Amino acid sequence: MPMSCYSSVTTVRLDAIKDAETPRVHSLPCEIEHDGPAEVSAYFSATAKERKHEKTVSFRGRGLKGQEVSCPKGYTGLILQEVHKPSSDQEDGVLKVSSVFNKFTYWNLDTPPSSDDGIVMAMSWPQVANAIHAPLED
Amino acid sequence: MATKKKRSPLRDASGWVVVAADSVVGAPEEGAGDPTFARLRNPSSGGASLYLFGGGDAQVYEVKAFAEDHRSWFVGETVQRDGRLLFITPMDPLYLLLPYIQEAGAEGKFQPANQVVTDEDFPGCSRLLRCTCALESLRLVADEKEVANQRFYRYNQQKTLDWLKRKVERTVSVLKRSDVSVGGGVKSATYVRVKSEVDASDEDYLRYAHGLVSEYVSEDLSKELLRHLQLPEISSPKEEPPSKKRKLSDKPVEAGEDYTKFNSADFARKPQKKMTVAQKSLAKVDKSGMRPMSAFFGPKVKQEKK
Amino acid sequence: MDLSQFEADNSVSCRLTSPIPETCKTEDCCLGIDEAGRGPVLGPMVYGICFCPVSRKEQLKELKVADSKTLREDQRESLFLKLDEAKNFVGWALQILSPNTISTSMLQRTKYNLNALSHDAAIGLVQYALDSGVQLKEVFVDTVGPAAKYQETLSKRFPGVEVTVRPKADSLFPIVSAASICAKTWTRTTALDTRTVSFYPKTKSWLLRHLDPVFGYPQFVRFSWSTAQTLLESKAVPVHWDDDEEDGDKAAARQNNTSMLSYFSRGDSSGSNTHTHRFFTERKLQNLSSL
Repeated sequence: MPMSCYSSVTTVRLDAIKDAETPRVHSLPCEIEHDGPAEVSAYFSATAKERKHEKTVSFRGRGLKGQEVSCPKGYTGLILQEVHKPSSDQEDGVLKVSSVFNKFTYWNLDTPPSSDDGIVMAMSWPQVANAIHAPLED
Repeated sequence: MATKKKRSPLRDASGWVVVAADSVVGAPEEGAGDPTFARLRNPSSGGASLYLFGGGDAQVYEVKAFAEDHRSWFVGETVQRDGRLLFITPMDPLYLLLPYIQEAGAEGKFQPANQVVTDEDFPGCSRLLRCTCALESLRLVADEKEVANQRFYRYNQQKTLDWLKRKVERTVSVLKRSDVSVGGGVKSATYVRVKSEVDASDEDYLRYAHGLVSEYVSEDLSKELLRHLQLPEISSPKEEPPSKKRKLSDKPVEAGEDYTKFNSADFARKPQKKMTVAQKSLAKVDKSGMRPMSAFFGPKVKQEKK
Repeated sequence: MDLSQFEADNSVSCRLTSPIPETCKTEDCCLGIDEAGRGPVLGPMVYGICFCPVSRKEQLKELKVADSKTLREDQRESLFLKLDEAKNFVGWALQILSPNTISTSMLQRTKYNLNALSHDAAIGLVQYALDSGVQLKEVFVDTVGPAAKYQETLSKRFPGVEVTVRPKADSLFPIVSAASICAKTWTRTTALDTRTVSFYPKTKSWLLRHLDPVFGYPQFVRFSWSTAQTLLESKAVPVHWDDDEEDGDKAAARQNNTSMLSYFSRGDSSGSNTHTHRFFTERKLQNLSSL
C-alpha cells in the first residue's frame, strides 16, 4: 500500500469564470451515449412548447414533459471541464469553470413534473445541510 | 426488429454539472488560491469521501451527487452523458476533525491539534485545521489548555454530545420549517409519502434529525447521542418486548436508522474489529486506545463475518 | 439541413425548410406552390413551395423537373435529391398537416373547409419566404379549386407580387413542378403506416444524409418507422430509457450490478455505509469517493 493512497487533489481553476458562458441547461430522462457537440437549439430548444408552465418537447420520438428549476438561494450552477486529466489516481488533476447557470430545465419521460421528482427534492439538500453544518451560535 | 440496445460502459467523465455554494466561486481574496477537491476520511463510514477545500482552505465543503439512473445533460450545444448533479455545500470541519480528536482522547492526555490530526492515508486532513474557526471550534468537543502560547486539547465526550445535541435541535427547527417529510418512515410496497406533516410527532423530527447528524459521526457516537437525546434505542421485538422499550406510536420506525441490531448490552460486548494498516501503526504507538478507535474505523458489526 | 425555422408538433402541423440561398435574398425570385395528399384518406397533407431567382429558371429546367404526375416514384425522388443539392440557388419549404389537424379543423363548429385550409397553408408558406428575405416577384400556384378567386385573394394578400393561379400549373411552370416534387416526396415519407410505405433507396439515402447523430430526425419523422429506426440504431448514438426492454445479457448485468451501475460504482466506494439516511436515499443523493 502506498504511503498516501488518497493524497492527490484536483484543482478548480476560477480564472476562466469571468469568460464563462451562460448556456441553457437541460436534464434529460435518458442516457445518451455521447459526450460532445450536438445541435441542441435547432432540434430541441426550438421545438419545445410551453403551455401553462408545462413544457413539452420530444426527443427521439419520445414525449417529454419538463419544468424549470432554479438553483437554491446562495448557490450557483457551474459546469466544470477537465483541463488536465491525471494519468493515475496518484496524480493531481486540473478543472476549470467553463460555464455558469442559475436555472435549468429537467424533463420527465411522459410524466408531468411534480415536487416528488428526485431532482426537485434534491434541491432541498443545501437548506438541510446548512442546518447540520453552519457554525452554532454561542 | 432490431436488437436491443446494450449500454456501453461509461468512460471517465470529463465534465461535471455542479450546484455550488456561492462562496466556492465568489470573490476569493487575492492570492487565496483556487478551490481543490480532496479526499478525506468519511467520519461515519471511515472510508474515503470526496470533499472540496475553498481557496486558502478557509472552508471545507461536502460533495454529494444527485444520481438518477437514465439521465444525461444538454449544456448549451453539447451533450454530457453523465447525468449526475453534484452539490457542493459548506461543511462543519469539526465533524471531520472529531474522529482524530476522539481517537487521541483515548490516550487521556492533552495534545496539540496538529499532532493529533494526521492520517497517512489522508494527508489532506491537516488542511482542516486551516479552516476559519476550526481551531476555535475544537473546544466544543475537547478540553483546552494553553501552555507557553501553545494550545493542547483532550477529547471530552460530554461536550461532544452537547454540541451534537444542539446540532440536532437546530436541524429539527429547520426541518419543521421545510417541506421535508419526516413521518411514516418505512418504505413499503404500499408506501405513499404523506404530504401533510401534521401527523409527524416531535419524536419523529428528533429521530430524523438525529439520523441526519449521525451521517457525520461514528456509529458508536450516534448511539451515545441517541441516549443523550433521551430517545430509546429501538430494539428488535424478539430481544425485548416493544412495550418496555418505548411507548411505540403506530408509526413504523425509520428504515434508514436501524438500531434493532444493537442494544446497549451488545454494544459493551462488541468484539474488536480488524484494523487497517493505519490503525495498526497507530496501535503500535499506544495500545490503550484501541477499543474506541476500532469502534470508529471498523466495519459494522452486522457485516462482520471474519 | 437548416432547422432554424423548423417548428414541429406532431399533433398539429409542422414546417420543414431548406436553407435560404443567398442569391434569393438579393435577386428577384419566382416561387411555386403545390399540394399533395388530398387523395389518401389516412395520409397527411403536404404543401410545398420552391423558389429560385427568376434569372435561373432555365437552370431549373436543366434539372429536368417536369409535372410530377408523369414521374415514377424513383424518378421523383432522385429529382428531389437534385433539388436539395442545388441549394445554392433553389430553396424549398414544406408545411405538413397531420390527419388529425385536417379532421379537427374540418369538424370545427365554424366550418373550415379543405380549400380554406389549403389556402391558409399556402399563404403561410409565402409569408415564410417573404419573412426569410426572399425577394419575391412572381408566384405560381397550382389549384384544383376556382382559380380566379384564389388568384384575387393571393394578389390582395401579397401586393407587389405577381400571382398566377392555374389548374395543372405543375405541368406549365418548372418552379411549380419543383414544389410538387418536394411535396409529393414528403407525402410518401410521412404516410402513416410503415407496412404500406416502402422506402425507396433514394429516400433512404436522404434520410441517412440528414440523420443527426444525437437527435435523429426532425419530429415529424415518425421514429417508429422501421427504416428510420434501423438507421437510428446503426448510425446514431445509443440512447437508453428507463422503460427500454432489457435483453437477457443486460438483465443479467443489472442483477450483477455490473454495467448499468457504472456511474454508481464511482460513488461511495467504502460500501460500508449501508445505513444511509432516507433523506439521502429518497433524494438519490450519494457521497462520492472520486470525481
